[in-house]
Amino acid sequence: MSGALSLGHGSGGRLTQQLTQRILSRFGEARFPSASRRPDFQADFQMEDCAFIDAGCGACGSEDDGGGKTAVSIDGFTVFPHDFPGGDIGKLAVCGSANDLAVRGAEPLFLALSLIIEEGLDVAVLDRYMDSAAQAAGEGRVALAAGDTKVVPRGAADKLFITTCAIGRRVSPHVLRTSNLRDGDALILSTAPGRHGAALAAARFGLDAPGLTSDCALLWPALSPLLRFSGLRCMRDCTRGGLGTVLCEWAEASPLGIEVYETSVPADTETAAVCDILGFDPLYLASEGCALAAVAPEQAEECLVALRESPLCRDAAVIGRMISEHPRMVGMRTRIGGMRFVDMPAGELLPRIC
Amino acid sequence: MCLAAPYTIKEIFPDGSARAVSGGVETDIRLDLVESPASGDTVLVHAGFAIQKLDRGESEELIALWNEVSRAAAAAFRA
Amino acid sequence: MSGRFTSGGAEAAFEAMRRELEEALRLSGPLTFMEVCGTHTVSIFRSGLRSLLPRGLSLLSGPGCPVCVTDRSEIDRAIELAEKGCLVLTYGDMMRVPGTSGSLLEARGRGADVEVATSAIQALPAARENPDRDVVFLAVGFETTAPATAAMLRQVRSGGIRNLSVLCLHKTVPPVMRVLCSVPGLKVDGFLLPGNVTVVAGEGGYAFLAEAGKAAAVAGFEPEEIMAALVDLVRQAAAGSYRIRAYRTRDVPREGNTTALRLMAEVFEPCDALWRGLGLIPGSGLRLGKDYARFDALGKFGLKSGAGPAEARDDGCQCGKILSGLLTPPECGLYGRACTPLNPAGPCMVSSEGTCGAWYRFNRQEAERWQ
Repeated sequence: MSGALSLGHGSGGRLTQQLTQRILSRFGEARFPSASRRPDFQADFQMEDCAFIDAGCGACGSEDDGGGKTAVSIDGFTVFPHDFPGGDIGKLAVCGSANDLAVRGAEPLFLALSLIIEEGLDVAVLDRYMDSAAQAAGEGRVALAAGDTKVVPRGAADKLFITTCAIGRRVSPHVLRTSNLRDGDALILSTAPGRHGAALAAARFGLDAPGLTSDCALLWPALSPLLRFSGLRCMRDCTRGGLGTVLCEWAEASPLGIEVYETSVPADTETAAVCDILGFDPLYLASEGCALAAVAPEQAEECLVALRESPLCRDAAVIGRMISEHPRMVGMRTRIGGMRFVDMPAGELLPRIC
Repeated sequence: MCLAAPYTIKEIFPDGSARAVSGGVETDIRLDLVESPASGDTVLVHAGFAIQKLDRGESEELIALWNEVSRAAAAAFRA
Repeated sequence: MSGRFTSGGAEAAFEAMRRELEEALRLSGPLTFMEVCGTHTVSIFRSGLRSLLPRGLSLLSGPGCPVCVTDRSEIDRAIELAEKGCLVLTYGDMMRVPGTSGSLLEARGRGADVEVATSAIQALPAARENPDRDVVFLAVGFETTAPATAAMLRQVRSGGIRNLSVLCLHKTVPPVMRVLCSVPGLKVDGFLLPGNVTVVAGEGGYAFLAEAGKAAAVAGFEPEEIMAALVDLVRQAAAGSYRIRAYRTRDVPREGNTTALRLMAEVFEPCDALWRGLGLIPGSGLRLGKDYARFDALGKFGLKSGAGPAEARDDGCQCGKILSGLLTPPECGLYGRACTPLNPAGPCMVSSEGTCGAWYRFNRQEAERWQ
């Protein structure tokens, strides 16, 4: 990596991974208070959606790593356009951070909110985004605990950037993480992937899809019933980089391979149409209310039933499994009975004509 | 090369563009490249332009070959 | 179309087709076909079709991606225009293609005004909304895409728009296939012809293939369509008799789209064109004809046409041989090391449809095994 950063470094695939590693490497020792300097701890910290800390004893990491039950995540929101079918930047900023906790079995309780506002933003517009953030927080019973506002000169930001930090409490009896993955685990996807990315792409490129809304939603109510399953290994929401990126990250984080069944992946007609028109693959489009869960095979069916209780997850399905073949690679059994490999997206997704 | 998708024309405008729909997704397309398009026509669209009308039905060559092979496969299975 | 022929289960239906291929191959002996079109390449990988092909049938990816074959010097020119202050519009595919020093995406990162368009027609509002600026449409693509540029230019001309010009990199497919057919050592028994290029240009331009003793079939992009065309190709090769058939779900005229072809003839004229990795191919490009010459960005901004110094650069990139089907990606010394999708050296790695990009993305493990 050298020279200027590109938009690709922010799009969730391989480039983002490289950038993150580069930043983490600079923190080195400073990342770990003495209490939690364990060999397996670093991977956990890097790869997961949120961290577990214990401010009382100054430890970071999950409990069995010497950490605590307090969960923390942080996320910046620079979505364009700010308004999209099914939500806006305010709702997204709350759901995004809260979901990073939910997928690690932690209940979101508090929110810290930072606004970078570009000079000239209509206050009525700000009100509207804050109202939808407040509504989402209210629905999720997440309390606003801290906040900050900055106004920067015209051109120094694009209307409004929001950063949220979610704080919560781990509810899952055991720590959910990718290192729990075992051969044979079933992979459950909560809904059709890519609706958020497709809705944004449609808005950006002049496509009108009345039936297509972002899947932006709070996942905690849907996912919390899964926490009672002892065989639940880990979960991840398929945000930037989409389902394909999550699958690749899981395969790379374990010594196992992944097999996915193309025809089992829930599909959404409008998302597929947007992809056909713009030349995207739904596997790599972002979701904001879609999670992948790994669970022991004997509990997969019960887990699926529990998940489908939620209106967000009516289409939940077992889409694949962890396997011992082709370690660290994701293979897909296709509709026609063939086999292909799924790789991470490289850089910014651009619409294509060919 | 060349991604294209079939669209159905909903409404034609005087400037040579049209509103068209594909898989529940609507957008404006250009009709400069097809002869006498009409509302309701299905057209193949590439890079925002209709490049061909799809009004001749299914292609027989494709159907014939699949039918022949699947019949042969079915016959082999019975035998 | 999915499932049209496979109601009894796609897997069983494709298995029947696979056996059919196997049978036909027994008569013909081992065969190698080239899919000319990059969209075929991706569909073959993405659908898993490649993994179903019987032993003895090889598929090579040809020069069928207009982005892949854009020469470095042409990217350099577009970047030069953007850095001079022009607003450059182009298709998303073009953004990552490396020139001599970086891509349009990188130029945009440095502050140049480069915008992604999904249609040539978007150049018109861009020109109207920026009356004080020069807007340049970087036009790329084969016969499928060229008519859109032509239709846009006709409006520019009739509408008296003065601040819009076109950097015209359009190319046509038959000339490069003639060149391929004359490459010594090229082991290709037949061609899978591009579906959407022939929708516009028709099948007439490929008559020379039969004379050269090559099988040829047109296919759409669904695996059902491609599989049917492959069965036809093997049968043609086995029988030694060649006739182009089209395997598409929807029937279209064999002569192509005459309205679009007329418009192309009005706006463009053939010219020699540089193909990245392949060099200069006579009559394979399209430039603006005399009635439209004043909208040519080359003339308007006094840019040189033809090969730049980039032509002479040799960094070990084997794209020329890969495009010709003489090498597979892992046989190139740069593949997977000095050349990856994140850092593409050559055109074949640039597009996910490029031969190397598709191999890297969908078949890396297989490729690694061979290395």
